[in-house]
Amino acid sequence: MLDDTATGPEIGAAAPEVAVLGIGAIEQHGRHLPVGTDFLLAIELSRHVATELDAWLLPPIPVSMSECHGPMGGTVWLKPATLAAVLRDIARSVEAQGVRLLLVLNCHGGNFILEPAIEQLNRELRWLRVVLAPEVLADLPGEPPIFETGALEVHAGEAETSAMLHYYPDLVREERHDGPITVGREFLDYTTLDRLNPEGTWGFPSRADAAKGERAARARVRACAAYARRALEAIPLVPGPAGSSA
Amino acid sequence: MPTLTIENTAWEFAAGRPEVALVPLASLEPHGPHLPAGTDILLISAIARGVAGRLIKPAFLLPTWPVGTSGEHLGRPGCVSLEYDTLWAVVGDLVRSLHAHGIRDVVVLNNLGSPMGNTVRPSGNPIVKTAVRQLNYETTGLRAIWVQPFAVSRTALTEIFASAGRDLDASDVKASILRHLAPDLVRTGVADAERGRLSLEVAVAATADYVERTLAALNEI
Repeated sequence: MLDDTATGPEIGAAAPEVAVLGIGAIEQHGRHLPVGTDFLLAIELSRHVATELDAWLLPPIPVSMSECHGPMGGTVWLKPATLAAVLRDIARSVEAQGVRLLLVLNCHGGNFILEPAIEQLNRELRWLRVVLAPEVLADLPGEPPIFETGALEVHAGEAETSAMLHYYPDLVREERHDGPITVGREFLDYTTLDRLNPEGTWGFPSRADAAKGERAARARVRACAAYARRALEAIPLVPGPAGSSA
Repeated sequence: MPTLTIENTAWEFAAGRPEVALVPLASLEPHGPHLPAGTDILLISAIARGVAGRLIKPAFLLPTWPVGTSGEHLGRPGCVSLEYDTLWAVVGDLVRSLHAHGIRDVVVLNNLGSPMGNTVRPSGNPIVKTAVRQLNYETTGLRAIWVQPFAVSRTALTEIFASAGRDLDASDVKASILRHLAPDLVRTGVADAERGRLSLEVAVAATADYVERTLAALNEI
């Protein structure tokens, strides 16, 4: 696995076929989780998946589309077009080095620009394919259910809080307020989360524990790595640029 | 003053009321056979932590934005670069969203810069100057500034390296600071950890001093 502690020549010699890009966010996560929750989880997920794939781990993007949290403190955001441009430039940079697959690991549910941006990128790029690992917020298909409220989780609930209890237990505060919101998730297209629940949660953090977080984290890393392997096999065999390992 | 970071909750932000935000920008590009491609990320992050702790007002220290505009290295192993208009948009979005939360003063730490550089024209990530300038013209009540730590600590850095009989060179300064912070990451060369410790110290002090002086001068205008 290569990361940003590798030198240029070391990366050149390894000629990585796969690059892994985590996308985090900095936004309110209720009273019990830090604003950096999505970024911290992107750091963990991308490192574990890149290790599993022996890939080139790119530094995760810390900020993304968090405007849906409106005026709540510690929230910063990129506009959708900015996030799409960042992804495009990173994809072009790794394509220029002969990378064949860019695996995007999205750790913030509000990044709805990623799917159209990636579809467009794959029409424009020559050698590289960009794939978005399926977003798994809670339980994984084909795995026994881990969470009691997985289907109701949108933000800072049972699954996300469990993940933080697993990776960063010291950063999880005691005061956990559930957010049993009854409208559909599309309401974040119409308003901001603080209007739906002033406590900033959408889900059931009171049901979280570290053991669930560990099981889900392992399953998620496995699922993302397996997805990347299948994608790599599926890429049509186009010749790579001169001098690349492809 | 205590610094708020991404490890704090939104409720702690509401109580801590940060008045100034620090936005560190780095770049990811090859640094030769002896230094990591992510050298600037590690260094600017350490400098930003130091600067945040020295500011008079409560500060929000953002995590380092890891990629800059490194077009001259594009295609070389280890280089991940943004286009100028992309970095411009990133800086604009970050600063505007901070301002939307009532943070009036935003300090963009525009990578390390050069010890031969100055405070007028950035060395590296040149679009940040334009981005900051336009943000100030276009956003009522915002005070955004940019600074490059090596440029404002030139005099002190020169003394540190002269006393060791060495010319001042950005690559030498980086290698020395990295040898202090993470010795195993410097593969070869004469970089000296003690020189690095001193360099980091003066870069932090000079940057914090420049930020305070600049914000104070803006108060007078």
